Amino acid sequence: MPTQIDLNKTLATLKKFYRDKKRLPSFSEIQTLFDYRSKSAASFLVDKLIEKGLIEKDSTGKIIPTSAISSVVKVLGTVQAGFPSPAEEELLDTLTLDEFLIKKPNATYIVKVSGDSMIDEGIKEGDLVLVERGRQAMPGDIVIAQVDGQWTMKFYDKKNGKVILRAANKKYSDIEPQSELLIGGVVVANVRKYK
Amino acid sequence: MSENTNNLLSLSSFPRPIIHIDCDAFFTSVEQALRPELKGKPVVTGKERGIVACASYEAKALGVKRPMRLWEAKRHLPQLICLPSDYETYSIYSKRMFSIIREFTPDVEEYSIDEAFADLSGLRRVYRTGYPEIALKIKVKIQEQLGLTVSVGVSASKTLAKIASKHEKPNGFTVVRANELHQFLPKIELGQVCGFGPNTVALLMKKGVRSVWDYVSRPEAWAKQLLGKIGIELWHELRGEAVYPLVTEEKTDYDSISKTKTFTPPSSNKDFVRAQLVRNAESAFIKLRRYKLRAKRICIFLRDQEFRSWGTEAELDRSSCSTQEIGPIINELFEKIFKENVLCRLTGIVLSKIEPDNTVQYSLFDNVPRLQSYLAINRVIDEVSELYGKHKLHLGTSLWLAKHKQHISERGDLPERKMDLLKGETFRQRLSIPVWAIKV
Repeated sequence: MPTQIDLNKTLATLKKFYRDKKRLPSFSEIQTLFDYRSKSAASFLVDKLIEKGLIEKDSTGKIIPTSAISSVVKVLGTVQAGFPSPAEEELLDTLTLDEFLIKKPNATYIVKVSGDSMIDEGIKEGDLVLVERGRQAMPGDIVIAQVDGQWTMKFYDKKNGKVILRAANKKYSDIEPQSELLIGGVVVANVRKYK
Repeated sequence: MSENTNNLLSLSSFPRPIIHIDCDAFFTSVEQALRPELKGKPVVTGKERGIVACASYEAKALGVKRPMRLWEAKRHLPQLICLPSDYETYSIYSKRMFSIIREFTPDVEEYSIDEAFADLSGLRRVYRTGYPEIALKIKVKIQEQLGLTVSVGVSASKTLAKIASKHEKPNGFTVVRANELHQFLPKIELGQVCGFGPNTVALLMKKGVRSVWDYVSRPEAWAKQLLGKIGIELWHELRGEAVYPLVTEEKTDYDSISKTKTFTPPSSNKDFVRAQLVRNAESAFIKLRRYKLRAKRICIFLRDQEFRSWGTEAELDRSSCSTQEIGPIINELFEKIFKENVLCRLTGIVLSKIEPDNTVQYSLFDNVPRLQSYLAINRVIDEVSELYGKHKLHLGTSLWLAKHKQHISERGDLPERKMDLLKGETFRQRLSIPVWAIKV
């Protein structure tokens, strides 16, 4: 059982863990993190931190961070210890551009656009579309699909219960997949970098 | 009860539900996932090294094996597609796989770039279903989001889970319940157990042990006497009693750090080979410093065209993380092992006896001001690397490299991802999102 807890150090360790993993450690992870021999020591620490208002427990008993831990962390320099400034607290509810564009980081891929079939939708050649794999396509979505052996990017639609792929370009007519249709992914964003 | 209950090793199915997830032909599968035109074709990676690093199942079926030399494989199978390894993309896939497993359970061990162990204890309540079904969910999710197949073994210990995942491959899903081991283990050869090397297998065969079942049927004391600690551990693991814990922390401390690099064409030019070695040493020391470590033991080695390796090693009086300080020692070692007129294809360095770089103890005869100037130089080197890329500031010895590229070859020896940069990317830094190479 830890007899004395260095609050700043503990906080710094938890912040680092939170920054790396985007979550707080489990009790057994706390055990290894702070080199405790038992889980009850970890639980003791958790109770202390809750008492100090540095972390909270959710309804399932897992520990969740308060602003003392989850505040936006400076990238350079030393790890911030102690209490965050109010400005940092205000930034709690902000998203990075990554988080804004990508909801499922494990399933998201870049496809570089090479054709003009979606030009009326404003997707040009050279644009980078972000595609989410394994997502159910809904009418109105833009999908990357393999039709009869060919890959294409089109609007996904349904007509009389049958799937139709529609280009955003008058030059191309609708595609009704004959033998095979494979939805590779759903386009969730389009990125065009000018500079 | 019709079955002979004497054979049961355990009464419950999963005293400890441990799964092993193993990607099928990982490197080539990643390539095939990102480049659909490669699907169904015999593909290998390792072009930059001149050997088969990974072969797709199509290539394996046609007799291509690891680690064949590429020209050999190509002669055997002219339509074979050889790709340079794109470790950056493989690493992204690897991280994604671990991350998907962690969505289910925090207890994940990153066993290698394409293998993971996970402990599912307690998850039945969350998913309201059995452990095999949860394992299947994980498998399906990985396959859906990564677009490649994995083989999964579900069992009661790490050793059993690993045997199970190998049992059916590719795209396998094998469940071995602890109370069914008496049916499964008789089919398993000793060599399939991670921990039984060829020598152990030979010894066990001598003692009349033919299968894993034979092994676990012997008394524990017998296993201990014959194979010692490992013997007992595996004996328990194979009986469905988990002994080995999952190492769930990401790796930050190292037992050893090694850097090796192949170059083509091979060379017998002493200065050039030395420069290759020194460059590896520089890389190894950069890594050492990044993790704030020092090493006390240095081993260097060379490899010739026949894949024979030889080398030597030295132990320092005092551990170090300074390239300048070790440079002369490496040079001395190199003089000992370099052979005139022998073509070398690879140099390597291994740093071991590693300790944290927090206390410095100088000996009476150390030139302290000089050692401190080394520290300052290291700091500058690392800062310059941070800003302008690795090896922008380097030892004079490695100037010999400038005349040669690592591999004299056409542009095809670099992975596509490094050749076709997206706007805003540099040769050194790219987006950490895989690029799906399809034309739409």
